[in-house]
Amino acid sequence: MEMLAKQDGSVIRLALLDDVDLAAENIVMLRELGVEDRDITVLSGIPYPEPVLGRPMTWERLPLIALSGAAVGFLIGVFLNAVTPLLYPIRVGGQPYIAIPPALVLTYEFTMMGLIVSTFLGVLWESTFPSFGPKYYHPRISEGYIGILFKAPKERLDEIVKMFHARGVQEIVEPEEWSL
Amino acid sequence: MSADATALVQPKEEWRKRLLLDPRPAEEMNHMVLKAMTTFGWRYWVVVGILALLALIGLGGAWGYQVLVGMGVAGIRRPVFWGVYIANFVFWIGISHSGTFISAILRVFKAEFRRPITRASELMTTFALIVAGMYPLIHLGRTWRFYWMIPYPNQRQLWPNFHSPLMWDMIAIFTYLIGSTLYLYLPLIPDLAMARDHARGWRHRLYRFLALGWRGTEAEWHHLKRAITIFAFAIIPVMFSVHTIVSWDFGMTMVPGWHSTIFGPYFVAGAIFSGVSAVVTVLLIVRKTMKLDYFLREEHFDALGKLVLVFSFVWTYFFFADYLTEWYGGEAVAKELLTLQARGPVAPLWYLMLTTNILIPWFTLWNKRIRTSPPALFLITLGVNVGMYLERYIIVAGYLTRNRLPFDWGAYNPSPVELLISLGSLSTFVLLYAVASRLIPLVPVWEVQEGQFVHSLRRVGRILVPSVSELE
Repeated sequence: MEMLAKQDGSVIRLALLDDVDLAAENIVMLRELGVEDRDITVLSGIPYPEPVLGRPMTWERLPLIALSGAAVGFLIGVFLNAVTPLLYPIRVGGQPYIAIPPALVLTYEFTMMGLIVSTFLGVLWESTFPSFGPKYYHPRISEGYIGILFKAPKERLDEIVKMFHARGVQEIVEPEEWSL
Repeated sequence: MSADATALVQPKEEWRKRLLLDPRPAEEMNHMVLKAMTTFGWRYWVVVGILALLALIGLGGAWGYQVLVGMGVAGIRRPVFWGVYIANFVFWIGISHSGTFISAILRVFKAEFRRPITRASELMTTFALIVAGMYPLIHLGRTWRFYWMIPYPNQRQLWPNFHSPLMWDMIAIFTYLIGSTLYLYLPLIPDLAMARDHARGWRHRLYRFLALGWRGTEAEWHHLKRAITIFAFAIIPVMFSVHTIVSWDFGMTMVPGWHSTIFGPYFVAGAIFSGVSAVVTVLLIVRKTMKLDYFLREEHFDALGKLVLVFSFVWTYFFFADYLTEWYGGEAVAKELLTLQARGPVAPLWYLMLTTNILIPWFTLWNKRIRTSPPALFLITLGVNVGMYLERYIIVAGYLTRNRLPFDWGAYNPSPVELLISLGSLSTFVLLYAVASRLIPLVPVWEVQEGQFVHSLRRVGRILVPSVSELE
């Protein structure tokens, strides 16, 4: 959103609200005034599921990434249990080279390790973390405020601000870029 | 209709005292948590200094001495080759079950009282695992040979033996350590961002780095919540597997008293019993020293006290099932083991264990006044961990003194080196916790605020009752 605003000459504003119902109402208002969902970002100190604010669901591939990681872990487990004993066969404890019961234990552990590590990496990937560069933010977000960051055409800004004021929202600021 | 008939009955006083029904402004809550992190009295530094010294003596001095001189300085002698080090290992793995149980299982079941206590218990898990992970290295004697366990082929192209329970152990503990550390870190990110927004100087730089650029966008929250859910479901079976595999270190041998099919669930039940009790002990200290009375209330200790009581029942059930099977079998060596416990050298420890793990919890924790009394609960839960340690000591070092060959029976007395290393590892755990408590928000503020957002008092007829809105 930030990049596009600089290119197309539109303006970006941040409305700070302390009430979730008010936030939901104002998002509807923004949409009615022609601001598209992709030009709105909600910042908050606690998680509000998208339907609470009437926002479209976030697209994600996290479960897929997690499952892929589990599959890789499973294959590593199978390799260690079923292939390495054949590379230099030594009979241990009277057990067959490839013994299924003990193999299940390590295959399970490696599968879970793959799942866990890939889930973590998946969050970083999906959220583009770490990302320390300057970004629009306001420290009051962590003090319980809900921030509605929106991009609107310059000519419609007065109308939008007026509507915000009419709904009791006073704090509509030009957001600063914080080096997070 | 009279005014009296339409008036609402006030909610019970007890409900007013609940954290999730007693919201305060987010700014005030942040301030409380940050103040607790940044307040250092002289007592704190004295305690940290003593702990650091003990850790240095135990791990630097005693362990260093053992590495230099050899395993002969430990008290293990034929026939007892597993002593205090392995008992400590099992004990600390047990303590590590605290975080996962409190955080993951209670999260999955949506037990709301968990919210302010998850972080403190997850932190215990990570540090307990670090301490537990040191013990196989200490017990190894020639610690530098540890790399033989790492799964890659050696010069002869030989891979480690993946059929060995010791190998399973290493992989399971490693998986659990990675899982629990990431599970601690992920829900911490929003609170680190909160700390970043309020801190100055080196703390600001540290939190900025750890918060990864968190802003609290819908997408960030969505991914984080989804990941926490996946983690919660994934880490529960890992937790069960870790202590089960630890029990298999014993169960897969032919040693009398160890070769038991019930050892898996028996060890897991003991680990959760010990872990939850340790959480209570630590939370009571944290509440007192960090002045977190707003977040950690009677209701939390009441609920945790009930959990300790329930797990005392569960542990007793497995203990008795194992005991009765050995007793009824009538095998000569099993009789010797039972006699060892009832009238032998370990009898005082065995009776103390029964007292602290069964008698005291059963006769006290049914009472709410005791469950909500900090001094009483502190002593009871501390006692449970003394008892659980003794249980591990008896199983490891006690059982090995008797075997199928009476001429090979023996005794075991821990040496000063073993005791110093044990003290050093305990000090390391407390030291890590004390330092971390001043570095990261010990209360998950966003989770508490989320809980307060979804809780309210709802009118039902003429009364107001607590109610939770399910937003997801």
